[in-house]
Amino acid sequence: MAAMTAPANTPVWVDESRCKACDMCVAVCPAGVLAMRPEPTSTLGAMIEIVALDSCIGCNECELACPDFAIYVADKKEYKFAKLTDEAKARAQAIIDNKYRVLGA
Amino acid sequence: MAFNYDQYLRLEKMPTLWCWGCGDGVILKAFIRAVDKMGWSKDDVCVVSGIGCSGRFSSYVDFNTIHTTHGRTVAFATGVKLANPDKHVICVGGDGDALAIGGNHTIHGCRRNIDINFIVINNFIYGLTNSQTSPTTPQGMWTVSQKAGNIDPTFDACKLAIAAGATFVAREKVNDPRKLEKVFVEGFKHRGFSFFDILSNCHINLGRKNKMQSAMENLDWIDAITVSKKKYDEMSEDERLNLLPTGILKQDTAAREYCDMYEDIKAVQQGKRKVLTQDDFEKKI
Repeated sequence: MAAMTAPANTPVWVDESRCKACDMCVAVCPAGVLAMRPEPTSTLGAMIEIVALDSCIGCNECELACPDFAIYVADKKEYKFAKLTDEAKARAQAIIDNKYRVLGA
Repeated sequence: MAFNYDQYLRLEKMPTLWCWGCGDGVILKAFIRAVDKMGWSKDDVCVVSGIGCSGRFSSYVDFNTIHTTHGRTVAFATGVKLANPDKHVICVGGDGDALAIGGNHTIHGCRRNIDINFIVINNFIYGLTNSQTSPTTPQGMWTVSQKAGNIDPTFDACKLAIAAGATFVAREKVNDPRKLEKVFVEGFKHRGFSFFDILSNCHINLGRKNKMQSAMENLDWIDAITVSKKKYDEMSEDERLNLLPTGILKQDTAAREYCDMYEDIKAVQQGKRKVLTQDDFEKKI
């Protein structure tokens, strides 16, 4: 497999130079790990932000859904991911209800 | 460790020119993962694409690539495959590219059963030229060329491919990238014409006037019009009316592949065998 090295102790990381702020990764994340922060310099006025790094369950949905090669998830063999909690689920729903934007922003 | 797509990409072309949330990117990623899974060398793969948003496909991947004329992907790919029967040829076209202007080439590629993998990115609209009616645009939808609502009946691309004689026909949707990868691997393994009808979103040009302004709304609509083949088979005619089955719809491993048959012609020319007659073929008419 074509592999790339993950940054130390990081379950999920993004390449902001490639992100077009389409909201897809935020929409599919079951644990509320991702959200869009306001970013005036971006075309759509938003940029992906990891808001709850420790909640990532390693499901890989965001990586598969990203059309722009901008998001990566560590391998389950190398990183011990969190379990999906009710708190994380509630945050995911709150972010989706907030039009994928960072809560409180 | 994570999957490294960069190894298969032309990094100087990144980011892609596709709109935010475009299904083409998801298909490109699934395609790269499938090629990686097959273990093919980059030098042994040829990607042929035509005109349209899907035409950009060949520009982004670091394989042997041809960006060719509108609709002529299968024609070019047939030449590539006949000259290099041991290489892997993948065609990419949009619904307009593959079914309208290149419809004839698609039919005859299917008929010959040549070992080409044809990925049709079906987003139900001419996206690059801003929303004209394509052969798969649903009736009643707004398009730039039919602003009062599209009246043209739609094509079922898979039924077309099956009828024309393709030996591997599958339909999948971008909502399910894992299944997409799986179906690509199955098709790539198949020797013969593999036809993939991949339902994709174009929330920019299809969705903007059809109440699907965001990628997720467009994907939810695709989810609502598709059902797995297993469930589809159990449904009555009435229930099937507005649904498209997904999965592998046809796989025939018995039919002879075109490059293999072409070897027979070569043998005749080299004096190694007699001229072919109808007796050499199972089907007589």
